[in-house]
Amino acid sequence: MTLSTSILLTIALAPLVGCLLAGFLGKQIGRVGAHSVTILGLLVSCGLSFYVLYQITAGGAPAYNHNLYTWFEIGRFSASVGFLVDRLTAMMMVVVTFVSLLVHVYTIGYMADDDGYQRFFSYISLFTFSMLMLVMSNNFMQLFFGWEAVGLVSYLLIGFWYKRPTAIFANLKAFLVNRVGDFGFLLGIAAVLYFLGSLDYQTVFAAAPGLVGKTLQITQNHAWDAATVIGVLLFIGAMGKSAQVPLHVWLPDSMEGPTPISALIHAATMVTAGIFMVARMSPIYELSQGALSFVMVIGATGALFTGLIGIVQNDIKRVVAYSTLSQLGYMTVALGVSAYSGAVFHLMTHAFFKALLFLGAGSVIIAMHHEQDMRYMGGLRKYMPITWITMWIGSLALVAIPFTSGFYSKDAIIEAVGASHRWGSGYAYFCVLAGAFVTALYTFRQMYLTFHGKERFTVVEHHGHGHHDHDDHGHHKPGELAHAPHESPWVVTLPLILLAIPSLLVGFFTIGPMLFGGWFGQAIHVEEANNVLGELAGEFHGAAAMALHGFWSWPFGLVALAFVITTYIYLFNPAMAGKIKTAFKPLWTVLDRKYWVDDVYFAVFARGGVKLGRLFWKAGDAAVIDGALVNGSAGVVQRIAAGMRKLQSGYLYHYAFAMILGLILLLGGFWLVGQ
Amino acid sequence: MPNFNDILVLLPEFYLVAAACLLLLLDAFMKPEQRGLLHWLSIAVLLVAVYLVVAGQPDGTATAFNGMFVRDRVAEILKVFALLCTVLVFVYARPYLADRKLFVGEFYTLAIFAVIGIMLLVSAGNLVTVYLGLELLTLSSYALVALNRDSPLSSEAAIKYFVLGALASGMLLYGMSMVYGATGTLSLAQLHGAAAHSAMPNLLLFGLIFMIIGIGFKLGVAPFHMWIPDVYQGAPTAVTVFIGSAPKLAAFGMAYRLLESGLGDLAQHWQLMLAVLAVLSLAIGNLVAIVQSNLKRLLAYSTISHMGYLLLGLVNAGPEGYAAAMFYAISYALMSTAAFGVILALARAGFECEEIDDFKGLNQRSPWMAFLMLLAMFSLAGVPPLFGFFAKLLVLQAAIDANMLWLAIVGAVFAIIGLYYYLRVVKVMYFDKPQDGVRLEVQQDVSLRWMLSLNALLLLVLGLCWGPLLGWCRAAFGLVSA
Amino acid sequence: MIDPNLFQLICFYAFGVVTVGAALAVITLKNSVHAVLALVLTFFSTACIWLLAEAEFLAIALIVVYVGAVMVLFLFVVMMLDIKQEQVREGFIRYLPVGIVVALVMLVEMLALIGVRAMQAIPMGANPAAAAGMSNTAWLGTALYTQYLLPFEIAALILTVGVVAAVALTLRQRADRRHESASQQVRVNARDRVRIVKMAAEQPARTTAQPQQPGDQEAKP
Repeated sequence: MTLSTSILLTIALAPLVGCLLAGFLGKQIGRVGAHSVTILGLLVSCGLSFYVLYQITAGGAPAYNHNLYTWFEIGRFSASVGFLVDRLTAMMMVVVTFVSLLVHVYTIGYMADDDGYQRFFSYISLFTFSMLMLVMSNNFMQLFFGWEAVGLVSYLLIGFWYKRPTAIFANLKAFLVNRVGDFGFLLGIAAVLYFLGSLDYQTVFAAAPGLVGKTLQITQNHAWDAATVIGVLLFIGAMGKSAQVPLHVWLPDSMEGPTPISALIHAATMVTAGIFMVARMSPIYELSQGALSFVMVIGATGALFTGLIGIVQNDIKRVVAYSTLSQLGYMTVALGVSAYSGAVFHLMTHAFFKALLFLGAGSVIIAMHHEQDMRYMGGLRKYMPITWITMWIGSLALVAIPFTSGFYSKDAIIEAVGASHRWGSGYAYFCVLAGAFVTALYTFRQMYLTFHGKERFTVVEHHGHGHHDHDDHGHHKPGELAHAPHESPWVVTLPLILLAIPSLLVGFFTIGPMLFGGWFGQAIHVEEANNVLGELAGEFHGAAAMALHGFWSWPFGLVALAFVITTYIYLFNPAMAGKIKTAFKPLWTVLDRKYWVDDVYFAVFARGGVKLGRLFWKAGDAAVIDGALVNGSAGVVQRIAAGMRKLQSGYLYHYAFAMILGLILLLGGFWLVGQ
Repeated sequence: MPNFNDILVLLPEFYLVAAACLLLLLDAFMKPEQRGLLHWLSIAVLLVAVYLVVAGQPDGTATAFNGMFVRDRVAEILKVFALLCTVLVFVYARPYLADRKLFVGEFYTLAIFAVIGIMLLVSAGNLVTVYLGLELLTLSSYALVALNRDSPLSSEAAIKYFVLGALASGMLLYGMSMVYGATGTLSLAQLHGAAAHSAMPNLLLFGLIFMIIGIGFKLGVAPFHMWIPDVYQGAPTAVTVFIGSAPKLAAFGMAYRLLESGLGDLAQHWQLMLAVLAVLSLAIGNLVAIVQSNLKRLLAYSTISHMGYLLLGLVNAGPEGYAAAMFYAISYALMSTAAFGVILALARAGFECEEIDDFKGLNQRSPWMAFLMLLAMFSLAGVPPLFGFFAKLLVLQAAIDANMLWLAIVGAVFAIIGLYYYLRVVKVMYFDKPQDGVRLEVQQDVSLRWMLSLNALLLLVLGLCWGPLLGWCRAAFGLVSA
Repeated sequence: MIDPNLFQLICFYAFGVVTVGAALAVITLKNSVHAVLALVLTFFSTACIWLLAEAEFLAIALIVVYVGAVMVLFLFVVMMLDIKQEQVREGFIRYLPVGIVVALVMLVEMLALIGVRAMQAIPMGANPAAAAGMSNTAWLGTALYTQYLLPFEIAALILTVGVVAAVALTLRQRADRRHESASQQVRVNARDRVRIVKMAAEQPARTTAQPQQPGDQEAKP
């Protein structure tokens, strides 16, 4: 069994076709047409992705690595479009297309009233195409193309409601912060090309061991290890895309976009591109303990401290957003301890349960008429049982209750960090353990505030106030609803149910092969000395045993503790939450202000940048460049041109004379040179 | 003695001659209302010629008529693109000609004769064939320029073209006679061997200089460029688009035949001369274009500068350079047909649409035409990722490879200066308000609209994947892509 | 007895001087008819030089075609046009110094580049006609139809283009010119030519004048 080129091409291009049809012919094919073609494209893509996974896993197909098209060649460097499909890629393809398909279906319900319906479908299909190009790439150039393309679509979608100033602010912020990361990424790619002379994965990985001992003189008196430089630079790209501290600030704001894309782009797929990339580059990272330590510390910091912010958030989507930041931190920590397959495994389970949580939150938001503040919710479980149950499933997976898929991936990461001896692993272990407790705190708080307790909203009937679009919702006072909340339509609940199933089960069935069975094979490379998962494999005696053992482990104890605390506060003694807040006012302020990271960025980079820009504009651009260089040189050119124009007099004998002069010039010049 | 094989080698040319004569007869017996048929027949004739060129392609090089005619890959590629450009010209020209009572059979036959001249010129294996092919091309061109007999501007342009052309032909012929005197042969292949050890090297070089003037005139490089602005402006736009496209390919072919096939041994001598001409062309073309208000005249100066860039490729005097120059010639032919095509698409009876001010606010009247013009302008300016960018990149690279970094720098500087006037057209189209009293309507001709769109979009497509075309160009000069 | 070579040289220089002098006369003579006659002299002496170079056929062709046909036609045209001589001459004197300077510079450059010594060199082989044992005319004909067949054909093509161009540029069939077609006149029948309009006899005279009204209205303002 071998993988067929045409199938792979179809997987990548089917969403693009859908995107183009919905985007350019949106008016002609209408709403139904737009969602039909894009969903059909995704269906094809998803079905074939499963088939490819089947071929690779069960059929024993070897990894596919071919260049399909050579874009250009300059010297010995050639840029081409090609696919590398091994087990890692196949898994990512399935996750991307599956979640994307469900999000497409979900969007039919969520965006039903929106004017930009076709545009939205076009964008998310374009995103799927870009993401597939990213994961299927067999070279850095195409990786970068996909990387930028998903960034672009993310930008477009965060600002989807482009009339909202907050949305425009958020997408600009996301774009700028990502630019910082991408700059590092580009430098990293350049460094790869510089040291290894190629951008093709296979060539680069084969040559990677040659990096050992090479150095780069960046600062004076200190030569930097090449592998570390490359690793750190590439990881800076991942920090932007995967929202790692301190480039994490864009992700919470990106919640301004419609909820389906929060689920698809900002939880399940795009933000995990960084994780995927580092896992893909494992042969390079394995060469540098320094880069891996850097990755681990950054990830651990994010895992704990962004989770803490989640505790004080009132916006239902923001809680999930901070939880995403925290979970991305977990994946990054796993990368940092060389447990790449653990990171990718968590990436997969997280994609399912976090998409579920986002879509569930979206379902709640629909029911609450686009009210997102949890302080005006409560008791919703009566009104929307399916959303309630599925979100509980997602939450249980998130807090890692044994037997759920989240448990397997997260517990494996915590164990791996515990087993690691890398510099900084002690700090990382503390962070991930405390993070488990924090995760449980904000998750249970969110569930209680939303679905349990008293109803903190009132239904105010407006007569003759029938069907209306989103903008109308803004007119209501907080906590006042025009209709009673009700369960969402089937296009919304079906994806919830379909995501709940893998959230519960996928970990149980896949942990054995994926983490400890060497399922990834050649796709992920781990040095023997770093192989923490290999150490853990000795203690692994099947998924069920691991779950049962999980009940007696530290993380579960912390979760249980958090459960007791939150249950007491939010179900039995709601007033206590306020008291705690006042008692720990300083701490609360720190969290509410998000450690002032945003404020510092504003004060230093944004305002400083504006000031610097104004200085350069006035002194540099307006005076020197515009005044002297541009207008000055343009003026000179203009004068010369006006003079030369007179040569073209229109007289035939002038023209002939010019030719004769030219002849004399050539003859004379030649004579002089000949002398 | 010539035999049947010789005729097979020249099959496309013979076929075109026969077809042109038949078209001429057909036109004489045809009612004016039936000219549409002639139009489509001419296009069909050219397309069949393309087929014959491609289908009859020999493996390697074939010669005929005692080496008078050489059929190799270089000639094949130039012929195919010259024929295709002429097809585009025919499609674009029809509504314009019909609006001005110029829709006559002679336009088609003369253009086809000119194409035959081009095909003979690029396949020439002998100085005599070069000269006669050139004369066939230019004589047809003179007549085409003068086609609008009632326009004084047109007649003036034709007279200037004719007199200066005759002068240049005279110099070319003089140069050829000197070369013949120095080497005793007219055959390019024999010249190649004889040039290195000529008894009279100075006489040979003296002839070379005169031949370069003939080439320079045909290319339109400074200071032999003076005819270009007047002819481009004076000729009916339908003729200008022809003169601006296929003959440029021929000029490259002629330069290649004379300089490389014939006098390649003297490369070290003509390299510097071409470099000087290139600098002059870049300077004059780009600078004077800035102050033009007439778009046709602007494009004329742009031609001069583009031919300067083409010379950068020739200066290299190696296969890489020739490939770059040929790539450049092809790209320029396609870009200029697109730019003139837009002018033709917007012109109507009594309104030439050739002033830059006529394009004010085009985006509001016809966004698609404005976009096509934008593509053409950006490509001419060499904005990535359009076709023109890579063509410029390649010739600059060729100049650097020839150890003429200073020339490449001059080229890059003038490319930036050139950006100004191309962008001015774009600015006028997109940011200015439409002029009062100017009605911008697009010709309703369907074939024109489709072909023009295809032509302009091709600039984008070839800008993104220029690999295959460059591959052909390189293969024609014996280079194999790595 | 004069050495034949010396005689040839003397002849060459004599004809050369005449040629150059006549050519100068073509562009300096004020009377156009004189100028054309000077051109005839130029061609004639050139033909003589060609005879010296053993190119008999070309020399005869030059005299028959150019002197005999083309220049006579030219002479007729010049005589019929009655060109104002002063206008043509205007500016000639003014630009003469520049022209002379340029010509001198050119001469110096040519001499410097080619050198005087090159005159003695003989790069050509023996006269191919003599080598083949044929007369110049016969050899030229053979070469034209064998070796140079393709250029010969192209030359024919150029002449065709010349004819087409001449016709296209001079043949006038203006739309506003009235012309008769005999065949159409013959084929016409009474019904097409005369239209019989039935009208009532007692209609007032006003209505019969109606067809002329539009013309009247236009004429008024």
